[in-house]
Amino acid sequence: MKLLTCLKQIPDRDTRYEINAAGTGIKTSDLTFEISECDEYSLEESLKLREEHGGEVAILTLGPQRAEKSIRKGLAMGADRAILVRDDEGKVTTPHAVAKVLAEVLKEEEYDLILTGTQSDDWSYAQTGVLLAELLGLPHATIVMEIRADPAQKKVKALREMESGWFQWVELPMPAVLTIQAGISQIRYASLKGIMQAKKKEIRNVELSDLNVDLSSVPEVEVLKVYFPVVEKKAEILQGSTAEVVEQLVEKLKKEAKVI
Amino acid sequence: MSEKIYVLIDHGEGEIRTPSLESLALGQRMAEETGFSLHALILGNEIGPLAERLGKQKVDSVLLVEDQKLANYDPDVYCRALSEILTEDQPYLFLMGHIYQNIDLAPKLAAAINRGLVTDCIGYRKEGDDFVFVRQMFRNKLNADVQFRSEHPWIVTLQTGATSVDELKEGSGQVVERSLDLSAVELRRKPLEAFEATQGKVDLSQAELIVAVGRGIKKAENLKIIEELAEALGAEIAASRPVVDSEWLSRDRQIGSSGQTVSPRLYLACGISGAIQHIVGMKNAQCIVAINTDPNAPIFNIATYGIVGDLFEIVPALTKKLKEA
Amino acid sequence: MAAEVQAKLKGGEFLITASDPQDVFTPEDFTEEHQMIAQMAQQFMEREILPQCERIEDQDLDLTVELLRKAAAELDLLAIDVPQKYEGLGLDKPSSTIVAEKLSRVGSFAISYGAHCGIGTLPIVYFGTEEQKQQYLPKLAKGELLAAYALTEATSGSDALAAKSTAVLSEDKKSWVLNGEKLWITNAGFADLFIVFAKVDGKDFSAFIVERKFAGVQVGTEEKKMGIKGSSTCILLLENARVPVENLLGEKGKGHKIALNILNIGRYKLGAGCVGAAKAAIGDCLSYAGERQQFGRPIAEFGAIQEKLAEMAIRTWIAESMAYRTVGLIDARLREVDVDDPGQALKAIEEYAVECSIVKVWCTEMLDFVVDEAVQIFGGNGYSQEYPVERYYRDSRINRIFEGTNEINRLLITGMLLRRAKKGELALMQATEQIFSELTSFPEELDPEEKLAEEKRIVENAKKATLMVAGLASQKYGEALTDEQEVVMAAADMIMEVHGMESGLLRVLKIAQKGSKDLELYEKLIRCYIHDAIDKISLSGKKILGSVCEGDEQRTYQAALRKFCKHSLLNSISMRRNIAGALLKAQEYNL
Repeated sequence: MKLLTCLKQIPDRDTRYEINAAGTGIKTSDLTFEISECDEYSLEESLKLREEHGGEVAILTLGPQRAEKSIRKGLAMGADRAILVRDDEGKVTTPHAVAKVLAEVLKEEEYDLILTGTQSDDWSYAQTGVLLAELLGLPHATIVMEIRADPAQKKVKALREMESGWFQWVELPMPAVLTIQAGISQIRYASLKGIMQAKKKEIRNVELSDLNVDLSSVPEVEVLKVYFPVVEKKAEILQGSTAEVVEQLVEKLKKEAKVI
Repeated sequence: MSEKIYVLIDHGEGEIRTPSLESLALGQRMAEETGFSLHALILGNEIGPLAERLGKQKVDSVLLVEDQKLANYDPDVYCRALSEILTEDQPYLFLMGHIYQNIDLAPKLAAAINRGLVTDCIGYRKEGDDFVFVRQMFRNKLNADVQFRSEHPWIVTLQTGATSVDELKEGSGQVVERSLDLSAVELRRKPLEAFEATQGKVDLSQAELIVAVGRGIKKAENLKIIEELAEALGAEIAASRPVVDSEWLSRDRQIGSSGQTVSPRLYLACGISGAIQHIVGMKNAQCIVAINTDPNAPIFNIATYGIVGDLFEIVPALTKKLKEA
Repeated sequence: MAAEVQAKLKGGEFLITASDPQDVFTPEDFTEEHQMIAQMAQQFMEREILPQCERIEDQDLDLTVELLRKAAAELDLLAIDVPQKYEGLGLDKPSSTIVAEKLSRVGSFAISYGAHCGIGTLPIVYFGTEEQKQQYLPKLAKGELLAAYALTEATSGSDALAAKSTAVLSEDKKSWVLNGEKLWITNAGFADLFIVFAKVDGKDFSAFIVERKFAGVQVGTEEKKMGIKGSSTCILLLENARVPVENLLGEKGKGHKIALNILNIGRYKLGAGCVGAAKAAIGDCLSYAGERQQFGRPIAEFGAIQEKLAEMAIRTWIAESMAYRTVGLIDARLREVDVDDPGQALKAIEEYAVECSIVKVWCTEMLDFVVDEAVQIFGGNGYSQEYPVERYYRDSRINRIFEGTNEINRLLITGMLLRRAKKGELALMQATEQIFSELTSFPEELDPEEKLAEEKRIVENAKKATLMVAGLASQKYGEALTDEQEVVMAAADMIMEVHGMESGLLRVLKIAQKGSKDLELYEKLIRCYIHDAIDKISLSGKKILGSVCEGDEQRTYQAALRKFCKHSLLNSISMRRNIAGALLKAQEYNL
């Protein structure tokens, strides 16, 4: 099977973010970066499918040069090769534009399945995978919890998470796009062997300017402002030492709220 | 010319889904503010009664599209139906609930008609003649104001809980049947078996007292202090998603948009920051107590009583106190 | 791998020669692979080890074995130092050192892992025959066999070569018959093979590869220890144990080479392990100090706590600089030799035996300081097992005892330097002569424009002070100096401080060359450290002077020592507050 996984590099999830000078994003100068969580699960699923059915796992990333570091981790986990569409200036921002660029690169690629994360941990649009499917004319399934591929029949079964705790299996003809939910499996480690092999694997850099893609036709959505949400404290905050707050709480639950 | 706001109404098992009613409530507010007309759009098969029910809300009309192929959600046929209607009617705005079904559908629709899409909005405001939409990002740590720079219709999905169904106003709107030729649409995605994950397992919906635990518990072994507190209270244990994802508790104890919805007398949230996905599952509790180290955690917005502090100190102390009493 | 440094200095030469920042290896030189290895080891620690910490501490050895096998199967962590030829990875020394650092957060597991990969496996890597390597190394690399090292006996600890265990060739000459009792054997509870030291015919100290399944091999019950309680430590009993004749490791009678060299290798890794444990303790203190409220505000806001946090971080950073500088030298030297020739590889490592001992002593004492302060910051909670610092405190204590006690290592530091000088490998005497001839000269003015000019001068002077005092001691006692252990240890203290100061200073200068937004913070850190360290050197120097000379001679040298140890006053309180502030903002050790 030819598997293609889209990885996005995002700022470290545990960082305390600061707003950038323009107020339209976060400061990235002092941050460390990592692979977006759902994307890491999608890579894990790709690697499992390759273990079961053979074939190849390729990584496709759009981002600046620093994204190579995250790609390298993906290669160390076991992906075979990678393509990095270089956008050093951060020109491509909206999911629609990203999908358009990725779709253009994929014209030159062969694949049975494209796996992406359901959503990224930075801008969290939850759009790119599905946009990509539609732009490529492929069927898709989102919020996928489990995959069973049948390469001989060119079919894939995916377990989708649905509303209020329901799940459903669906079957798609391949090629198809699946967007993967976080937390569905145990992500493997990059082994030492993998790390040492990763540096020998190819990361093909593609310049954005070399692609025949017209971003002016993309429906634009502009981020005007990014800010920390204002928290209106409605709760009655209990003050004092641990013993004091605990005492107050029990008192209030009994006498005021009368719930215990 | 009067502009139009369309709201997609999702349904399942013969009921209109709550997030769609929330979207409709927001649509009503927007329509009032702008003088635009408001139209509920419902797709399905043999759903006349649902359309009638929608007609009793304050809407200008209910657009009813019925077709056998629309009986169950399928991205190909739903996208085709919506594409045709939106292209023909050119509404100003198309609102959808940010539910799993629409996460599956909305981007496909946006690509199909090449229109802008803003997902998972928690609100909007008017800036001059323009709408500015507010959405969360970076795991809800930041908000962003976004504005469309594209042709209409603008497609917006709304986060569950962003508005309240209580805001919904009654009125009367005419049900207008719309027929589409969907015979040529090929359904590429074949639905197979569906199942409910929580079947036969823990049912928290009837619990009177719940002690819930979130990411702040840090590791599975620490759960014992929560268990002890629950035991002292005679409460059930519940969790937010990260705890369940880490497999520290079983999935049937998850509260929130992808778990159970509960309304106990007391909901004691330990180390839960209060992401909206969690809050929608427990906000109707009679009394909410929040214990969190971060004074800015959103859980304090909805809690009745709050303690800013380390749960590893507070929880054992509370257990001790309850046992004494 | 990129960013390699060259081994321009020979072992011990740092004391008499200045180094260029380019020539020291620092964590800032880590390659992309090193960083990935660090991240992977950290993930393994956080995902697999930390969540199981309680069970590990309860000495669930099945779990430890399972985790070791998992580390081998999923991450190749047990193959790290095994040559590729034997199904290992044969990675560079910084890689295995980084792993040691990252795994040190749970001391018990780190010890189990370290004992297997280090003292358990390396004797075969460096001293095994081709057959022994083929037979054992692939299995050790994959975790199919787990290893231990059995040297110590009831009456031979620091004096390891005084072992009483014996080996006698059997009548049919097919096997060695071993008898004896080995103590404090880490991993003994589950190890499949032991590197055992015994005297052939009661005289030739030799090493043997002994499998647990061999007849006559027995493992005693677990020791009840103060710390690293999750690791296995038992007695190994050999009662007419039958060891195949081909399992003699290395040459008969050359066991001391194995015993001493293998310990040597362990020392720099132990140093790095201490750095990792210190970082973990500091991280816990930062979050605790930020959350714990007293007098209506977080204790992190109090100067008393900030000063502790800053000093813990300063010493950790210096220790890290010392450990990685040494690893870098060893690695550079290893690149120059044929790695397939274990003799050459060993010689490369042996070259820096002095530095290895310095790193061992300094880093283990650094960690004891850090964990002690950590308990203090946690107050009563720090004394409770509910919090991890209680475990850090207990786990740290063994480090000053094993891998050669810190006292033995202090004697080695001075002793080895003098021995190298005598053998002509180190121009120590010439350098000392030079200093005596310069005693009356006046120092040049410092360039006020040059950054850290004073600190560079202090490091130079610290070397002079050390050489002067050590030279005097050597003149006074000659060969008998080794009997004056207090003098030798005080000299070692001075030598270690020189290494610490210089390693830190060179690292800051390297950071300055590379550019960093935090440069100012690092400058404060190194200034705080160097100004304190030179006072320590002064104290040790005075102690030695007081013992080796008197009268006018003493007054002359005391004046010289005072001149060498002169330094300006710093506003170190404000500098430490800055350092603590940066750490508290980051909420983790991120220097």
